[in-house]
Amino acid sequence: MEKRISELEARQGRETAAQTSNPVLPAPAEHQMVPAAAAPSPALHEHGATPTEIREAEIHYPSLQIRGFGDVDFHATDQKDSTSGFSLGQLDLHFASPLSRKVTYFGEVTFTAQPTTYDLNVERSFVRFDYNDYFKISFGKFHTPIGYWNTAFHHGAWLQTTIIRPDMIKFGGTFTPVHIVGAQAEGSIPSGGLGLSYSVALGNGRGANFSKAGDSGDFNNNRAWLAKLSSQPFHLSGLEFGGSYYRDELTPQPGVNFREWIAGGYVTWTRGRPELLAEYENVHHASLQTSQTFNTTGYYAQVAYRLPWQENKWKPYYRFEYIHRPPQEPVWDSTGTPLVEDLVGSTVGVRWDITNFACFKGEYRKVRQDAGLPSVNGTFFQSAFTF
Amino acid sequence: MTAHWKTALGMLLLGWLCLCCTIPAVAQGHNVDVALVADPDIPVSNLTLAEVRKVFRGERQYWNTNLAVVLLIRAPVARERDVVLKIIYQMSESQFKQFWIAKIFRAESATAPKVVYSNDMANELVTAIPGAIAFVDARDVRPGTKVIRVDGHLPGELGYPLR
Repeated sequence: MEKRISELEARQGRETAAQTSNPVLPAPAEHQMVPAAAAPSPALHEHGATPTEIREAEIHYPSLQIRGFGDVDFHATDQKDSTSGFSLGQLDLHFASPLSRKVTYFGEVTFTAQPTTYDLNVERSFVRFDYNDYFKISFGKFHTPIGYWNTAFHHGAWLQTTIIRPDMIKFGGTFTPVHIVGAQAEGSIPSGGLGLSYSVALGNGRGANFSKAGDSGDFNNNRAWLAKLSSQPFHLSGLEFGGSYYRDELTPQPGVNFREWIAGGYVTWTRGRPELLAEYENVHHASLQTSQTFNTTGYYAQVAYRLPWQENKWKPYYRFEYIHRPPQEPVWDSTGTPLVEDLVGSTVGVRWDITNFACFKGEYRKVRQDAGLPSVNGTFFQSAFTF
Repeated sequence: MTAHWKTALGMLLLGWLCLCCTIPAVAQGHNVDVALVADPDIPVSNLTLAEVRKVFRGERQYWNTNLAVVLLIRAPVARERDVVLKIIYQMSESQFKQFWIAKIFRAESATAPKVVYSNDMANELVTAIPGAIAFVDARDVRPGTKVIRVDGHLPGELGYPLR
C-alpha cells in the first residue's frame, strides 16, 4: 500500500512537470477515449484523494462494524384468555468484521423480553474463508439455508415486509430447523446467465429441544446435512428460485429414532412492484424401528406492492399460509408443543417507511388452527428500525 | 422608429444566439457518458451490462482468486451516482441503502461500497487500491486508470449504455 501511494505521488509529480513543459500531453494509447467525451473539463475541477484519504479508503483488519435492529409491537386478538398490549420485540445486534482480505467474522445476538428477564441468544456466530466467488467455507452457527425466508430476513423485523414470519419458519417453532451448527460451503456455479449458486452444510442438526440447534454438541451423535441450489438469472434482476434438501436423524425419546428429510422449493421476485415470495416444504419422518412414515406439509405465498406515490413509502401486502400434519405424528407429539394439524392463515397489512431506516407496519391476521376450531382474528402494529 | 426596430431586432438576434449556444451546452452536461474506470491490474477490459450489475450488486466479489473487487461509488447528489442507481442498481436512494444493509446482514458481503466525493478522488483511488472499480464523468477520466468497455463500447460511442 505504501509502495502504491509513493508510486502515485511520484507519478503525479511527473505528470505535473510534464504538463508544465507540454500542456497538450497526449494520453497513452490504451487509455485513449473518444476525444470529445474524454477531454478534461476545467470547469469541473474537484479535489483528488490525499494519501490520508487513500489510507482511510483501504480496509483495515480487523474492521468491526455493528448494526442494530429493534422493534416495538402492539397486538390484540379475539382468542379466549389472551391479553392484548404492547411488547418490546427483539433487540438484535449484528457484527461483521473482516479479519483479513479473505477471512471475515459474522455474528448476531438477540435480546428477547420475557416475563421476568431477557433471553440472550447467540443466533449466528461464524468465520468465513473466501477462496474465490466459487468456493467460500464457513464454520460456526448459521441460519439453516433451507428455502428463502430463513436466510433472507434473519432476526431484523425491519428487513421483512410483514410483522410476523410465516408459521412454518417462526422462531421457536419446530417445523423448520432454523439454525445449524457446523460447516457450510457455498459459492456461485459458472452457469452463464442462469446465475446458479450452491450451498452445502454439515452440522449437528436439531438439539434435544427440536426448535434449537445443538450449540453445545450433537444430541444424538448423528450429523445433519443439507444441499441447496438456487438461481438468480442475470437478465431477470429480482428473480430468484431454488430448492433445498435436508437430512437428519432425530431421537425424540431414548431408543426411538426417526430419519428426517425436508425437501423444499421457493420462488421470489423482490423488485417491489410487485414483491412475490412463495415457499414450500415437506417434512418427512420415517421410524427406524417400525418403518412408519409421516409427512407434514407447509407453504406460504406473499405478495406486496410498493405504491409509486409519496416517495414509494407505502407497501400494502397479503400472505396466505397453510400447514398440514397427520393427526398422529410421534416426532411432533413428543415435543410438547405440537404443530397444528391444519393451519390456514391470511395476513393483510401495510408497511410505511417513514425514513430509510425506520418503518411502521399494521396488519390484520386471521388464522384457523384446525378444521374443527374457530378462526382467531388479530390486529398487530409494529415500529421496526435499524440503527 | 427604424432605430428602435433595429435595436429590438439586434437584441432578439443576440438573445437567440445566446440561447443557441446555451442549450447544447446544458444538454451536453446532462448527456455526458459515465465511464467505468478500474485498477489497471484487474484482468478484465470488457463487461456486459449484466456483468457490471453483478459486480456492483456484490454478486461477483473477486476478479480472480487473489484480487478482490473493491467498489467505489460517488456520494449522494452526484450525477454519476444517479446514473449508477438508475441503470445499474435500478433502485431509489433509499432502496440502495436498504439493499446494502440487508446484504451485510445476510453475510453476503462484509462491507458496503466506499463513498468517494469527487471524480478526481475516484480516479486516484482506483489506481491506488488493488481491485478497485468506480464510475466517473467521462470528461474527467485520467491517464493511469483503465476504462472498461461496457457491452463492447467505450464512453462516447454509439450504444454505450451508461449515460
